[in-house]
Amino acid sequence: MGSALENYVNQVRTLSAAGSYRELADELPESLSLLVRNWSILDNVLETLDMQQHTLGVLYVLLGKLHSAATANPEPVQIIQLMREFVQRSNVEQLRFAVCPFYETCHLFTDFLVQKNLSILGIKVLSRAIEQIRQMDTQLTPIHADLCQLSLKAKNFNLILPYLDTDITDISTVAAECKNQQQQQPQHTLDANNDAKYFLLYYYYGGMIFTAIKNYERALYFFEVCITTPAMAMSHIMLEAYKKFLMVSLIVEGKISYIPKNAQVIGRFMKPLANYYHDLVNVYENSSSEELRIIILKYSEAFTRDNNMGLAKQVATSLYKRNIQRLTKTFLTLSLSDVASRVQLPSAVEAERYILNMIKSGEIFASINQKDGMVLFKDDPEQYNLPDMFLNVQTNITQVLDLVKQINKMEEEIILNPMYVKKALGSQDEDLASQHPKTYSGDPTD
Amino acid sequence: MPVLPMPPLMQNAVEPMQVDAPPNEDNENNEEHQIVVENPTIDLEVYANQYTGIARLDRLIYVADVCPLLALEALKMAITYVQSTYNVKVYQMLHKRLADLQAAAGVAGAAAAVVAGGDQAAGAAAAVAVAALPDIAAQPVAAAAAQANATSAGGEKDAFAYDAVWVDAKMKKAALKLEKLDSDLKNYKSNSIKESIRRGHDDLADHYLSCGDLTNALKCYSRARDYCTSGKHVVNMCLNVIKVSIYLKNWAHVLSYISKAESTPDFSEGSKEANAQVHTRLECAAGLAELQQKKYKVAAKHFLAANFDHCDFPEMISTSNVAVYGGLCALATFDRPELKRLVIASTSFKLFLELEPQLRDIIFKFYESKYASCLTLLDEIRDNLLVDMYIAPHVSILYTKIRNRALIQYFSPYMSADMHKMATAFNSTVGDLENEVMQLILDGQIQARIDSHNKILYAKEADQRNSTFERALLMGKQYQRHTRMLILRAAMLKSHIHVKSVSRETGSNHGAELCVSAGSSTTAQLARI
Repeated sequence: MGSALENYVNQVRTLSAAGSYRELADELPESLSLLVRNWSILDNVLETLDMQQHTLGVLYVLLGKLHSAATANPEPVQIIQLMREFVQRSNVEQLRFAVCPFYETCHLFTDFLVQKNLSILGIKVLSRAIEQIRQMDTQLTPIHADLCQLSLKAKNFNLILPYLDTDITDISTVAAECKNQQQQQPQHTLDANNDAKYFLLYYYYGGMIFTAIKNYERALYFFEVCITTPAMAMSHIMLEAYKKFLMVSLIVEGKISYIPKNAQVIGRFMKPLANYYHDLVNVYENSSSEELRIIILKYSEAFTRDNNMGLAKQVATSLYKRNIQRLTKTFLTLSLSDVASRVQLPSAVEAERYILNMIKSGEIFASINQKDGMVLFKDDPEQYNLPDMFLNVQTNITQVLDLVKQINKMEEEIILNPMYVKKALGSQDEDLASQHPKTYSGDPTD
Repeated sequence: MPVLPMPPLMQNAVEPMQVDAPPNEDNENNEEHQIVVENPTIDLEVYANQYTGIARLDRLIYVADVCPLLALEALKMAITYVQSTYNVKVYQMLHKRLADLQAAAGVAGAAAAVVAGGDQAAGAAAAVAVAALPDIAAQPVAAAAAQANATSAGGEKDAFAYDAVWVDAKMKKAALKLEKLDSDLKNYKSNSIKESIRRGHDDLADHYLSCGDLTNALKCYSRARDYCTSGKHVVNMCLNVIKVSIYLKNWAHVLSYISKAESTPDFSEGSKEANAQVHTRLECAAGLAELQQKKYKVAAKHFLAANFDHCDFPEMISTSNVAVYGGLCALATFDRPELKRLVIASTSFKLFLELEPQLRDIIFKFYESKYASCLTLLDEIRDNLLVDMYIAPHVSILYTKIRNRALIQYFSPYMSADMHKMATAFNSTVGDLENEVMQLILDGQIQARIDSHNKILYAKEADQRNSTFERALLMGKQYQRHTRMLILRAAMLKSHIHVKSVSRETGSNHGAELCVSAGSSTTAQLARI
């Protein structure tokens, strides 16, 4: 046994020293089972390897350690320490040859932390891992999903938010990485859906994080991405995202926002499975808080089972607010008790509380006259003539222009792609309408 | 022989309108019962005489359905009329209804006698029964209510008893005639003379119609289509199909055959004069069909296009019906200039309106902005409208539309309006008015805001500049959102992100994994937010 491990160390050392990382990366997966079997003495192996010089070797040892975590039951602090050191000191160039094992290591690490309830300790580690492995700032890696999960578990969103606010233009997937390196993955049985799973999870968790910090619009965007992902079958992640999408959509717009037509899965599989939520939507549209309260109570068991009860309560609150906003459109003055009766709040005091909060958060413009209990609704004082507004418009324009640039760049990429040129010209030559460039589905790498 | 206690038309066809209608009518019926006792001011005899054939039966049965006051009379008139046809099924059904009604009246009367006016409702019911009976039974009502009911019921049995002999005879006759027509048709067919075959089909269909077998009638009328030789025949066939489809309440069918008739070459090219009657008939049928499909504006236009001099088809619709349907729909959907131009200034429609002076007054009052009297008049004719089978389901919708239109017109010239005055102008309380106006403001039909403290309605001037800014910013935001999603989608496709179905063996494990990760580990967060 010991000699086998020695062989491993020697192999890593010689190949690393010779700089043949590609060869090393190809051969190392075979020794993974060996490492897992000898979990008890892996620490000795680590001592003989240097993180900087033998990044690949260390990576596989780590992978072995995490794989055997269930049986070995190692000290969590030690694992976290190791990972932290690894992401700090590892050599990115070597790491590039083993992206997939690195992703797998991160996934296992996440699972391990979630199990041990130490999520908060892993956030920084994974954030550093992402910084290391991603090729550009707008690239999405599978590790993003892990980072989101840890942040959610730890209820700590400071580090994750900058990632979530970045617009993704490129996605790093296991399948693509393997193809790029023409690398065999005997150990890692390639599951076709894994890439989609981590993609969906990222947007699902991301939506939840935005819901948690009450940035509902952004949450809606994330959930929408999740449910409109091309799909032949329905994933459970999509179903849960769809349920949350319906509720968040009610909070943001008061109705179901437009669902793109290209998502047939929604109509076929998700709608029948989300009946309760559709009932909720229908009731919400009647704008009767009383009915909504009753239906939430009626389905509370289902909502609790889906862990959506808190969101359901938010929906109920949003209806009160929406009804008050409707009042501002129709009334100039209204007594607090009238407000309470019109939006079906239990008392004038309650109504005052709601209105006060809404004035504070700028959702309505009004003033309360406590002497005679009247509310005076005003128009939006925004006259669109202040420098702030000008700045706002300017930034918006810049953002839009940036987007246009981005689109142009993408178009250029497609136009310059030899495959596309060939296809586009070919169709002209043969004068075949069916091979019109439009049928080319925007996939220049193929 | 299905003699069931169900509304008569239900046995004819599967018709959603019919199935949907009864609950509504029951409500209206109750309402009527409670609000108005001297109820419909129509004379049933005159009303029924406007129609012939199945239309008359349908209408009488409808009256019996919705109006307990006239139910007995309506049923009896229907029975008298049905005896001149071969419609045995309806005859039996009517008798069943009559028997039920009399039994119910007897019970109610007895109850009233027992309670002795203690219960208002039962007392009223008894009064209704007693008031209705004397006309026919010609029995003095001086005796105790229960007794009078019993005896008068007995008296009726003689005049309107179930005539089994008649039923048998009619059934035999009908069967004979059917056989004869059938064999005739076969003869024609073997001789293959197109015109005769067409006529044979038509005769057969007429006979079916007389027996009340609407589906077969429709079939035969439609079959005649293959043997039409001239445009006139085609139009005729269309008219027949339209007629039966109206009885069947198959409105989509009605509309499609109207367009068929209108596109027939001879008809569209022929002189207006010759075709005026067909034209009017088509317009009325179209109006009726559009009305039933709640397209009131289109319906109004069709009715307005009808020509008074050629409006004579009692088997479908009466002239006063055209006036009422057209007038109400126009009132509910036309704006002021349209109302003036198309209704008030229309020479042909004026003749129709003469038949319905009340409606004419309503339209004029509306145009003169005398909303209070207009609405009062509308309320007065409401009960008469509710006994009309075609307009009844739409009365409340049309009334709301008319009222809203009146509110909008009332407020349009003002900058601010006193809601107390407005309430008196609309026969309503300030509270109700406030709710109505609120709804209109929310729908964007009135640009105004309510000062609930002083009960004043202020017009709101829209600031174009602000709203433009608002819209532009919103648009920018939406554009950014869409573009971002587009870019992301491009990346998705490029990386082949695609949820595929996984085969069972390997998939079960994976699926479970998905479930766990989606359901347990993370969603717990939200519940606590």
